[in-house]
Amino acid sequence: MSAESVYTIVDDLGALLLFTMILILAAGQIYRAIYAVAAQSLLIAIAGGVLATATGNVDLWVIAGVTLGVKAIVLPWVLLWVVRRMNVRREVEPVIPVAATLTLAVMVVVMSFHVSASLGSVRHAITGNALPVGIALTLLGVLVMATRKTALHQMVGLFASENGIFFTAMAVTQGMPLIIEIGVILDVILAALVMAIMVLRVRSTVDADIASLDRLRG
Amino acid sequence: MAETLLWVLPLVPTVAALAMLTTGDRRILSAIDVGSSAVLVALTLLLAREVEAGGPRSLGVFRVDDLGLVFLLLLVVLTLAVSIYTVGWLRQAVAVGNMKAESLRSYFALVHAFVATMVVTVLADNLGVLWIAMEGTTITSAVLVGYHGHRHGLEAAWKYIIVTTIGISFGLFGTVLVYAAAADVMGGAGTMSWSAIMEVAPTLDPGIVRIGFIFVMIGYGTKAGLAPMHLWLPDAHSQAPTPVSALLSGVLIKCALLAIIRFQTIAAAACGPAFAEEVLLVFGLISVVVATPFILAQRDLKRLLGYHSVEHVGIVVLGLGFGGAVGTYGALLHVVNHGITKALAFFAAGTAIARYGSRDMRAIRGLFAVAPIGATFLMLAALSLAGVPPFSIFVSELLVLRGGIGHAHWVAIAIFLVMVVVIFAGLLHHAGAMAFGEPAAAASREPEAWSPLLAMMLLAAIMVLLGLTIPASVDGLLRRATEVVVG
Repeated sequence: MSAESVYTIVDDLGALLLFTMILILAAGQIYRAIYAVAAQSLLIAIAGGVLATATGNVDLWVIAGVTLGVKAIVLPWVLLWVVRRMNVRREVEPVIPVAATLTLAVMVVVMSFHVSASLGSVRHAITGNALPVGIALTLLGVLVMATRKTALHQMVGLFASENGIFFTAMAVTQGMPLIIEIGVILDVILAALVMAIMVLRVRSTVDADIASLDRLRG
Repeated sequence: MAETLLWVLPLVPTVAALAMLTTGDRRILSAIDVGSSAVLVALTLLLAREVEAGGPRSLGVFRVDDLGLVFLLLLVVLTLAVSIYTVGWLRQAVAVGNMKAESLRSYFALVHAFVATMVVTVLADNLGVLWIAMEGTTITSAVLVGYHGHRHGLEAAWKYIIVTTIGISFGLFGTVLVYAAAADVMGGAGTMSWSAIMEVAPTLDPGIVRIGFIFVMIGYGTKAGLAPMHLWLPDAHSQAPTPVSALLSGVLIKCALLAIIRFQTIAAAACGPAFAEEVLLVFGLISVVVATPFILAQRDLKRLLGYHSVEHVGIVVLGLGFGGAVGTYGALLHVVNHGITKALAFFAAGTAIARYGSRDMRAIRGLFAVAPIGATFLMLAALSLAGVPPFSIFVSELLVLRGGIGHAHWVAIAIFLVMVVVIFAGLLHHAGAMAFGEPAAAASREPEAWSPLLAMMLLAAIMVLLGLTIPASVDGLLRRATEVVVG
C-alpha cells in the first residue's frame, strides 16, 4: 500500500469515527449508544488492520484483534447485559438539549483540527488526520459524560474517549509497544467490570440509579 | 543487589495480598499486614543506601533515581503507619459493625494490591507502565472507597472511578503524544522509557510536546486532586475507611504528582522551562484559591481534610511552577511534609469520629477531656497543616515562597499568602472548637487504643523532627532529587 492511500484510508476511517460519535451523542435510548460505540470500536480494529498491513508491524494485528474482541464485542455485550438486568428502556433525559450538545460537538471538532493544523511537523509523527480525530473523540467522550447523567451513558462516553486515544496511538509511526497496549486494554476491562458491579450493587442495595445519588456536596 | 530490589519491592505487597486471601482471622491478617509493611520499609532503606552509593539503577521497565526515592520513602513509611493504625482501628470498626468480620480478607488484600500498584507507579521508568499502574491504583482504591457499602460510600466510589478514569485517559493521550514526538526523533519503534526520552528531550518537537504536557497535566492533575478537576477528592477521601483515606491523601495524590514532575522535566527540556512552569503555576493558584472557601464553610471533619489536600497539592504545584532549585526543593519537601502530616490528621480525625459517632465538627466537642492523647495529636496535626512554626509544613511553605520571590512572581505570592492566612485562621478555629470545651454526652469515654496512638506517635515524631531540622541524609536526598528535576 502506498503512503498516500494509507493516509486516505485513515482519514476516511477518521470521518466514520466522528460520525459514530455523533450517533452516540444524539442517541435517545441507551442501547443505540451501545451499538454505536461497538461500531466505533470495530472501525478502530479495521484501522489497526490497515496500519498493520501498511507498516508490516505484526504487533498492530494483535492489537487490532484484541480491540475487536474486547471493545467491539465483549464490553458492549457486558453493557447490554447490565441494561437487561436493570430493565432500563426509558428515554434518557440529557442535561442540555441534544441540538445544543451537537452544536458544542461541532465546535470541539473544528477546534481539534485547528489545534492540529497549527503543528507543523505532526505529519511525520502521526499518520493522516489521526491526531485531530483522536483529540475530538476524547473530548466528545467527556461531553457525553457531562451531558448524560445515567451510569451506562457515562461508561459509553468513557469507552468512546478511549477509542480516540487508541486511534491516535495506532497511527503513531509504528504504534505503541504491544505490551503497553495490552496492559491498557486489561485496565479498561477491569475498570469496566468494577463499574458494572458498582451499578448493579447500587441497584440492589439502595434501589436507585447512580445518577440519582447526589447527596455529597460542598 | 539494587537491581534485584527493584522487582522484589512491588512483589512484597502482591505476595502479602495473595497470602491474605487464604485466611479470615483478624489477628493473622493484621500480623501479615504489619509484617509486610515493615519488610517494605527495610528493603526501601536498603535500596536508598545502594542508590546513594551508586546512583540511579534500572531493570527493564523499572528504574529508581533520587526523585523516585523521595516518593518511595514516603510511601513505605505511611504504609507502615497505616498498618499499625489498622490493628486498633479494625478492632473498633468490627465491634460497632462498620466492617464485617467475614469480608476482612478482601479488604486487606485490596489494600495491599493498592500499595503494590502505587509502588509500581513510583518505580516505573516506562511511561506506559506508569499509566497502567496509575489506572490500577484507581481500580483497587475505588472498591476500597465504597467498602462500607452504604449510599454515600457508593456515590463517592462511583464519582471517584468515573472522574479519575476519564481524567487519566487524558494522561494516556498526553503520553501517546510525547511518545509520538520521541518516536519521530528516534526513528523506528521509539521508546516509552522516561530516561531514554530525557536523553533526546531537547530535540523533540515542541508543538506536540506542549499539547501532550497539557493533556498530561489535566490527566494526572485529576488524580492529584488539582482544581478544577478535584471534584472526586473530598467525596472519596471522606467516605473511604480511615486507613484508606490516609493512603489516598498521603501517598496516592503524591504518586500522581511524581508523574506530573516526570513529564515536566521532558516538557522543560523540549520547550524551555517557562512553558511548563506557567501551566503549573496556573493550576497551583486555582487549587489554592478554590479550596479556601470550602475549608472555611466545612462541617464534615474528613471533608475538611480532603479540601485541605487540594490546597496543599496546589502549594506543591506552585513550588514547581515557581521553579528554580529553591522552589523545587521546597515543593519536594512539601510533598513529604504534607504526606506525613495529612496521614496523622486522618488518623486523629478517624479516632475522634469513632469516639463521637459523628463526622460533624459541631458534634465533636471537648476531645481533650475524653481522649487527651488523641486530642493532642489532632491539635499538633491541625497546627502543622495550618503552617504554624516550628512544624514541618511551615518550613516547606516558606521555601516555596522564597522560590517565588527569587523569580519575582509577585501576584502569585500575594494570592498565595492571603489564602494561607485565611485558611490558617479557619483551620485553627475548627480545631480549637473540637479540642476544647465540654464533651458531648454521646462521646465514648473508653480508654484510648494503643496501636492507633503508636502510629500517630511515629508520624508526629517525623513531623516535628522535619520541622526542627532537616537531617543531612534527607537534605542530601532532596538536593539530588531537585537536580533531577531542575537539571
